[in-house]
Amino acid sequence: MMTIDDDMLMAFVDGELDEVSRARVERAVVEDPVLMDRLEQQKRLRERLAAHYGPTAEEEVPERFRAMLESNVVALPAAAPRIGRPVWQSLTALAATLVLGLAIGRTLLAPTPAAGPLAVEGGVMVARGELAQALDTQLASAQPRDAATRIGVTFANNDGRPCRTFDSPAAAGIACHGDTGWQVMMTAAGSGRQRADYRQAGSENLLVQQTAQEMMAGEPYDDAAERRARDSGWRSNTPRR
Amino acid sequence: MQAFERELLTLLPRLRRFARALARDSADADDLLQVALERALKARDQWAAGTRLDAWMMRIVRNCWIDEMRSRTRRARTFVPEEEGEMTGVDMQAELDARAEMHAVDRAMANLSPEQREVIALVLVEGLAYREAAELLEIPIGTLTSRLTRGRQALAQMLEAA
Repeated sequence: MMTIDDDMLMAFVDGELDEVSRARVERAVVEDPVLMDRLEQQKRLRERLAAHYGPTAEEEVPERFRAMLESNVVALPAAAPRIGRPVWQSLTALAATLVLGLAIGRTLLAPTPAAGPLAVEGGVMVARGELAQALDTQLASAQPRDAATRIGVTFANNDGRPCRTFDSPAAAGIACHGDTGWQVMMTAAGSGRQRADYRQAGSENLLVQQTAQEMMAGEPYDDAAERRARDSGWRSNTPRR
Repeated sequence: MQAFERELLTLLPRLRRFARALARDSADADDLLQVALERALKARDQWAAGTRLDAWMMRIVRNCWIDEMRSRTRRARTFVPEEEGEMTGVDMQAELDARAEMHAVDRAMANLSPEQREVIALVLVEGLAYREAAELLEIPIGTLTSRLTRGRQALAQMLEAA
């Protein structure tokens, strides 16, 4: 019978053996009850550690850590260079997402301007109803836990218009404020979830996030800038920070 | 929030678990994570975008933990190294009381040497491959596996005896 030393047995448990060695251990374990016991002991140890430490990774992360990361943006040098794609390329990407957005958006469009979250006016998609209301008034830093529409980041685009990402049961997307109110620049499928701990709208919607990154001039607004922008009625040409 | 902070945010649950496996209880673990995050935010320029942020961050957590252990040792020189299992006077009683309150797994982990504890935390708790863990700790694979083997034997013994 082949001897399997502790190192090898543990490498087996850790999934570090190549196929040939793994097969050797498997054969040896079947033939040797003592080895089987040692293997079982190692498996129990792994399970015990997982049972003890695993739940920590499942818990909600304390707010103070989240806050440390969120407030860090303020401390950054304002003019961090953005390694962006050429503008035309971004615009192409944006146009593509807009087409996709329109396809999704069509099903959400209200028959009359006042009824649904989205409407088309003069060829542009605009936010209506509850969505418009949330975009107008809701602060990401202080949104009701049960709000149907969550606001994510607020930022200025290259035209200096304030834009916000949103996520509602019906749709997620980005809207920028203009003369006609909130123009919806793109939409994607909404999360449709009602999780109480769901704080950062769009945090799981990569498409929205990436597009927001592309559109963003400078940094996202911090809590104070977001509040100022709201209180000023979402005026354009907000000075870039 | 920039990509750095966003990615860090998604790593927090795992980093918290890693800190928990190194520290003796959850309060110490969260203190450790806080110190590590502060250090990471200050040193963010040293992180090369495109490289693995999780490994970079785990290394920081681990280094902060080592620093904390060292300063504790300096503060309380009455503590002899844990392997010798002996302490003196008041500190010993306080330490024994504290340990009696601890969960069996925490107690067993606390009885390992720091070198064993960190490899157990990286490989068994965080599920890193040997190569990844060895790179993170900057030690040869052979050193890693021998620490892992000895740490595991000690843990199994303590936990099965309990």
